[in-house]
Amino acid sequence: MLELLKIEWLKLKNYKAFLIIGIFFILGIFITNYMVLTIFNKMVDKTEAGMLLGKFMPYDFKHVWQTTSYASGYILILPVMLLIMLVTNEFTYKTSRQNIIDGISRLDFIHVKIILATLFAIISTIFVVITGFALASTTGTEFSLYGFSQVGYFFLKAITYNFIAVFISVLIKRTGFAIGVYFIYMSAENIIAQLLDVWSMKIKADSKLDLGSLGSYLPMNASDSLLSFPDNPFQSFAKKAFPTDYHYLTISIALFFVVLFYWLSRSIILKKDL
Amino acid sequence: MNILTIDNLSKNYGKIQALQQVSFSVPQGTVYGILGPNGSGKTTMLGIVMDVLKSSGGSYRLFDEMPNETHRKRMGTLLETPNFYHYLSAVQNLKIAAKIKQRGEDDIDRVIEVVGLTQRKNSPFSSYSLGMKQRLAIGSALLGNPEVLVLDEPTNGLDPVGIAEIRSLIMSLASQGKTIIMASHMLDEVEKVCTHVAILKYGKLIASGDVNEILVNEDVVELAASNLDALKNMLTSFPNILSIQIKDKAVQMNLPQGTANMESINKFCFDNNIVLTHLQLKKKSLETKFLELTN
Repeated sequence: MLELLKIEWLKLKNYKAFLIIGIFFILGIFITNYMVLTIFNKMVDKTEAGMLLGKFMPYDFKHVWQTTSYASGYILILPVMLLIMLVTNEFTYKTSRQNIIDGISRLDFIHVKIILATLFAIISTIFVVITGFALASTTGTEFSLYGFSQVGYFFLKAITYNFIAVFISVLIKRTGFAIGVYFIYMSAENIIAQLLDVWSMKIKADSKLDLGSLGSYLPMNASDSLLSFPDNPFQSFAKKAFPTDYHYLTISIALFFVVLFYWLSRSIILKKDL
Repeated sequence: MNILTIDNLSKNYGKIQALQQVSFSVPQGTVYGILGPNGSGKTTMLGIVMDVLKSSGGSYRLFDEMPNETHRKRMGTLLETPNFYHYLSAVQNLKIAAKIKQRGEDDIDRVIEVVGLTQRKNSPFSSYSLGMKQRLAIGSALLGNPEVLVLDEPTNGLDPVGIAEIRSLIMSLASQGKTIIMASHMLDEVEKVCTHVAILKYGKLIASGDVNEILVNEDVVELAASNLDALKNMLTSFPNILSIQIKDKAVQMNLPQGTANMESINKFCFDNNIVLTHLQLKKKSLETKFLELTN
């Protein structure tokens, strides 16, 4: 498998988009979090809302892992786009064919893409940890790993997003079209999730049947819903109307989708003409 | 040993039957031409053998074994079009191919030299002309000096000099005992380099075997006289004669291509006291033979 990754590296290292998106991604994670930190610092000092929030600091060590994991989630679209480009390139250049003709098995071909998607998720997670640590260090609070499980959820979210990217790429095979479908799917799922969430509130109110937020049982929203901005005085009011958050059920569902998208991508590569 | 054995291979694209129960085998050390007009299923067949297409029925074997990726590593293949990473140079692309084939990188410069791309070996693939792309694809197939070469339309996009170069390259590889499977719609290409040939038409195999049996390329002269047996016996002494037989109430005499001269044949018969009642040259060129087979 290491040999296969070396082959991927040969494809990657001279690919300009890899360098550009990589730099934007690292900067993106840092800048996003730095902006959130700056806005909060200003708000706490000067506004009425800030007075209400009191001493709530999202980037002290008690909250930082949750805040960075939540805020960095939006930047994950960059490695997703890079992955889609890398995988669909193989089909546009027909190098998928050439790789297999030259002696890679179909199974290895898809496995190395899945491993690449996993590596991207690991690297993204590492940058989140570094950014979180750096920003929290500036607050002068005592080091803590409280809420570090949120970093795990960030990793789960990154894996989910990346595996969906691989799946859409092997399904659609055309770069622009695949990126388009990814964005449309992302928006569509969010809209459906919100409708489902409203519906689950209605069910809860009408029949006392508490199924949890149905919207968070969808592929992207499952891992999305595990991440949230740290609890603050505003949110606590609204929360009572929401259905129960079945934490472990949501994690299981997110994991289920990761396996599903792996299996679907694999089936396409193993069974279809390339 | 057979390098490739194809058994009842079929492939459908929806209702279109691209390949219909094709069976033949390629013995080791042959230069096997797969001949057929455009859309006859040549590339489809090779695509299935290389596992980039899935067959709808039938099976194939490589090196007399169930096929897998290790067999493909022992073969150098150019299928349909040159497939390379556009943003990488020839050398960078061949490094990837070498790594996949688990061969050393030390052969890269040699194959680039063989296909005449040394001057441009560090330019990105996207800057290459069609002919250069084709040359690189042939170079990639030669990488690691494989024992089997599969070349699908190897002279596609090459200029006349390039075509001649590739032809002599194929012949020199064949003389080294390598097995070469070559798909082409160019008759003279197949005629000049192949020892065996399989002819496909609309996905059906219509002939396969020794090239001299399938693509007879001789002058055929048809003669008749009152006594056919006497005519036949007399003509066996005709200079340069290849074969003779009685067919359809006439004698058919095969002579080397371009050597049949009606005047001298007539004179030869007359000098030997036989008066001809019929004399006709039936020149059977490779092209008419091919059209005959495929129509």
